Amino acid sequence: MADEFIKGLALFCGAGLAWMVLAGWYRTPSFESSRQLIAAPPEPGTVFDAIGIFLNNVFFWTAIIGALTFWLLVPAIHRLRDSTNAS
Amino acid sequence: MTDDTTDDGEPKTDGGGTGIVAPDDETPTWRERKERTEGLSRLTYEYFERARREDEDLRRESDYVERDVLAFPTWPHETVRNLALTSFFVGMIVFLSATLPPHIGNPANPNSTPAIILPDWYLYWSFGLLKLGPLNPELAILGGQKLMADRTYGVLANGIIVGAIAVVPFLNKGSARRPVEQPFWAAVGVFGIVLAFTLSMLSVKNLMPMNVDLLFDLTFFAPLVAGFVAYAVLKTMREGYMYDLNRRYYRLRPPK
Repeated sequence: MADEFIKGLALFCGAGLAWMVLAGWYRTPSFESSRQLIAAPPEPGTVFDAIGIFLNNVFFWTAIIGALTFWLLVPAIHRLRDSTNAS
Repeated sequence: MTDDTTDDGEPKTDGGGTGIVAPDDETPTWRERKERTEGLSRLTYEYFERARREDEDLRRESDYVERDVLAFPTWPHETVRNLALTSFFVGMIVFLSATLPPHIGNPANPNSTPAIILPDWYLYWSFGLLKLGPLNPELAILGGQKLMADRTYGVLANGIIVGAIAVVPFLNKGSARRPVEQPFWAAVGVFGIVLAFTLSMLSVKNLMPMNVDLLFDLTFFAPLVAGFVAYAVLKTMREGYMYDLNRRYYRLRPPK
């Protein structure tokens, strides 16, 4: 239980930090706007920008899906297996 | 394990073992547990195991009345831990300042007020309390006028919040070591933390990408929801996970 929690939390924090940095680079037109971290990314000018914008999405979904997996999916599977074994 | 326990096998709080250092015949040695691991983890484990063993030996030799508060010496235990924590936070500061350097704007012009004025982030909650204008009632008895200006109302709201925080220590002495021991007060704490966060969000409402009225409602609704959820979760945890251990710590606590 605690192991699954810390795995989910590590994924959430680590991928979330990387997402925040990349979103700060590519999806924040100004730090005084109301569209910080969520504005539409610009058209990538270089291949590095393209990689950064792609990784931004990768890290975002890693944070969301990783946390959901270890906090909800894996415990649910364990619970299901225990209940089927018990009956 | 002969003289450390009462007849029913429960650890005593003084004169015997603390119940925290396990007896020799029950504790696997570091060699048994970690025989095949190598490197720093093995070294660390060996170090702490030796310290634990020395602690236990000293405890058994001495005729000193047992305290039930265990502590590690400052050097190296606490120092190494503190260095690890310090390194983490210094690394985080370096990482963030390298990757997200703060924007340095034009020199301040004292003749014009900036469009966005904000205090330091840890005072956002107080700044948010100054924006409670919609809660300031228009009294019919005054012909639809407000009793006090919105700014006065915000300052009074600060006094109420600070007063509530000041009262809490008189209502709860803080003897719980973990939230599961006192779910209600843990829920009160969750409510306060979430309220501080939502008030902070309210204080930067002109930077928030959402409807301001919805934000205002969520400012007071979200803390209530979080508090109820925390209470329910902790109340559920009480009967389950490691609750025996918590009760055991309760028993080992010094008398008030």
